[in-house]
Amino acid sequence: MIQHFPVMAVMLLFLGAFLVAIFGRISPFIRDGIAILTATISLILIYALIKPVMIDGQIISYWMGNWEPVEGYAIGIGYEVDALGLFFGLLVVTTFWLSGIYSLGYLKKDANKMHYYTLYLMLSASVLGLVLTGDLFNMFIMIEIMTFASVALTAFRNKQDIALEAAFKYLVLGSIGSSMTLAGVALIYRVCHTLNMAQISSIIGGQFNLTTIMAFGLIVSGLCVKSYIVPFHTPAADAYTAAPTSISMIFSGMVNKAGVYGIIRMVYVVFRAMDRSSLQTLLVVFGAVTMFVGVTMALAQHDFKRLLAFHSISQIGYVITAIGLGTALGLNAGLFHAMNHTLFKGLLFLTAGAVLTATGTTNLDKLGGLSKKMPVTTVCFLVGAFSISGLPPFNGFASKWMVYQAIYEKASSSGNFLFAAATITALIVSVMTLASFIKVTQAVFFGQVNPEHSEVSEVPFIMQLPMVIMALLCVATGLFYNKVQEFLLAPAAKAALSVTNYIDRMMGEGYAESAGVADILWQPASFSFWNPLVWLVLFVVIFLAVYIAIATGRKNRGAILENGGAYDPKYATFFSGEQEEFSQVGGSDLFWGFKTDWKGYYKVMQGLHSGIVTDYASYIVMAAAVIILVMFICMR
Amino acid sequence: MLNITNILMLLFFVLVFPGALFTSAVGLWLAGVDRKVVARMQHRIGPPIRQPLYDFLKLLGKETIIPHAANKTVYLGAPIVGFISLAMIMLFIPIMGFTAVSGSADLIVILYLITIPGVALIVGGSSSGSPYAGIGISREMVTMMAYELPFVLVLLAVARKVGGGALVFSMQDIAAWQAANGSLLFHWSMIPAALAMLLVVPAEVGTQPFDVAEAETEICEGPLVEYSGAPLGLFKLNTAMKMFVMSGLFTALFLGGLGTGIVALDALIFVLICTLVVILCISTIHAVTARLKIEHLFKFYWTFVAGLALLSLILVWCGL
Repeated sequence: MIQHFPVMAVMLLFLGAFLVAIFGRISPFIRDGIAILTATISLILIYALIKPVMIDGQIISYWMGNWEPVEGYAIGIGYEVDALGLFFGLLVVTTFWLSGIYSLGYLKKDANKMHYYTLYLMLSASVLGLVLTGDLFNMFIMIEIMTFASVALTAFRNKQDIALEAAFKYLVLGSIGSSMTLAGVALIYRVCHTLNMAQISSIIGGQFNLTTIMAFGLIVSGLCVKSYIVPFHTPAADAYTAAPTSISMIFSGMVNKAGVYGIIRMVYVVFRAMDRSSLQTLLVVFGAVTMFVGVTMALAQHDFKRLLAFHSISQIGYVITAIGLGTALGLNAGLFHAMNHTLFKGLLFLTAGAVLTATGTTNLDKLGGLSKKMPVTTVCFLVGAFSISGLPPFNGFASKWMVYQAIYEKASSSGNFLFAAATITALIVSVMTLASFIKVTQAVFFGQVNPEHSEVSEVPFIMQLPMVIMALLCVATGLFYNKVQEFLLAPAAKAALSVTNYIDRMMGEGYAESAGVADILWQPASFSFWNPLVWLVLFVVIFLAVYIAIATGRKNRGAILENGGAYDPKYATFFSGEQEEFSQVGGSDLFWGFKTDWKGYYKVMQGLHSGIVTDYASYIVMAAAVIILVMFICMR
Repeated sequence: MLNITNILMLLFFVLVFPGALFTSAVGLWLAGVDRKVVARMQHRIGPPIRQPLYDFLKLLGKETIIPHAANKTVYLGAPIVGFISLAMIMLFIPIMGFTAVSGSADLIVILYLITIPGVALIVGGSSSGSPYAGIGISREMVTMMAYELPFVLVLLAVARKVGGGALVFSMQDIAAWQAANGSLLFHWSMIPAALAMLLVVPAEVGTQPFDVAEAETEICEGPLVEYSGAPLGLFKLNTAMKMFVMSGLFTALFLGGLGTGIVALDALIFVLICTLVVILCISTIHAVTARLKIEHLFKFYWTFVAGLALLSLILVWCGL
């Protein structure tokens, strides 16, 4: 019974997509109902796999149409769900389910909702299929569906000027990525005569010849385009900004995670190349550059969603750096950060969507003072912002702490100063992340209310609910990181390292051994540093005590009360002797000192982000060439 | 682990020693010493050393005004968050031989906890709705970015020096290593890092010439412009506590391992060393310099100070 769950979850979503397209016209209720129902069932089916896969350590395999391997060759399409696949599967279902709920409130004013839900289900199904499949070509198909659904959804609000442009860029650049993947898959088929990942892994066996290196380089480059690693990141900024916010959340929560998953699957399982120091260095360098470029570009943005888009790029840099270390702790840290990024970045996109719904703009120079109008959104935003900046006790702190430990440990044990530089970059990027979220806090939620927005009110409950759930998840995964480690991260990291099990489950017991496959040793990562729960409880208790003492102190009671009614200049804010004038310090005015010192850097960066598709395409091709060249030189 | 004795011990640590009470008392003492020393250097008599305490008590009794534009909860809550996190950081810093919470002190935890008071000041200032505060918080954030790079480099240099090939981020191991091999300040390759750290302390505390965020003459104390009464008093107390926390961190990192084993005596020695550190890196620099511009401050930290710290890191990396 249980082995049908993964494939049912994927098929249901595809089925839902067609049903919405056919019956969606009848009534909005049927349309929304089909979408939410299929998403919910899919969520339940995937969550039901936690017990057997994560806790009991099973690997679930499923041959489509019962096409089992014939004479040792896997012909049919096989689904293979190990803890690694399921880990990303859980991220995917959580993200699209919450996004679906949010869409119900968010899309109130849009036309063509039927198209939206069809594409939304297509996108969800393809990403879920991508992380659960055990077949390389099937993976490519899912990447294709994912890309085209994403392109269409980017262009969904095509009344905006930016939407079609963004979709066009995404289409061109995404197709280049897909083509590279396809070329790689074709080369693999030429060498291995099979497309089953388990079998490919045992045939290649970590030994490379020219063809397999070429294939490896092409597939990894193709996946880099999907996970927006600098310099493959260029379509991301426009696409995240132009797409409806519920879709931006899906982009950052699962579409680029799909690329990350693909990279992990390729380098650890299929090609088993993570013991090569050249590949480790390559990934760490790309990761460090990604996080640095992402965050510095984010600091310069004037638009809430575009700023978040660049942060998505930057945080993926952390993940790539961590998984590129090739150690158990590194992989563990990378997976943890990937999960946390899904949670807090999803949350931040939802708050951006709430601001957009309430005020009609995400321009940081035009907003301000929304904290009094939208208290729930503000609290959720602050949780997300503190999480992504890695302040204790939120989840970003736990995972970033793990990432730093992993990189610096690797730097110390290998003596490679490049890794130490990556640690420094990671720590600095963290404070820059904080800086750019301080900018959003000041420009959107605090400060003075723009007179245009004096009538703004909080978003409806259906939109608050996903935000609150995500905020709670951010806090919970930060506080109970030990449980997360035990039940999700450790099984997933272990699964990625124990290739033997993966191959044997698919191809039959003993297959891996006969092909001479050995696992990378799994060392459980040990964390003993602190117990955030005790500190948080203590913190909250003392905070409340002092707060109540201050807020109700006898001497100040009269002054504490909001001064309603009569006008009293005592409670006004003054600026150059003028009072109560709208004088908000907006987003682009902040961090002037920083930007002045970095003029040269920003000039170069501005030139590089020209907005011209041919430029971007050439970056992708050049970077792919570099990756393949490095592999050719170092891995033969 | 969670029985009554442990909880009471933890409460005692947080509230009395080395937490809130001890840290505030020493912080106010250091602030008083700083004012006195600066005054003497400028040939003034200066206020009595208990003046910061009087100021704090006076502010507690004053009226608290909340501006219309402010978000009340955040406006009142921010100084408290800063206060509690400063009290908690002190638990992680070894006072010579004594650490309140064993096994949990870690350089990266401390690095992040130390940013919280700064974030509290920024968020509080931002929530007050004044444009002066807006400019102030922007400067505070840039200052933070400026000193973070040398700070990180110093911490990594220490971790590498103590750990050798292995990974040591634990404050206790650092203290133990110094007890066995002599304080880090007396290893010549660490001297540039110690100098860099001495320059990080005043920027973190926000004293002249690095007080660009509060610049009274231009932006009327920046983030604090709208604050009054008890919250303002708490913010002033936070600044004083930061002096102790930062000088204490310097002492633990570079002059650790000198303890006698008697907690009271250790604490006394610790406070005396901290006083010297404050006089050296806060008062002296304060007395002889004028305020920098924000872009100069940033450049200074990312070139000169970071260069010193990087020099140490490279030396240590080469095994010196």
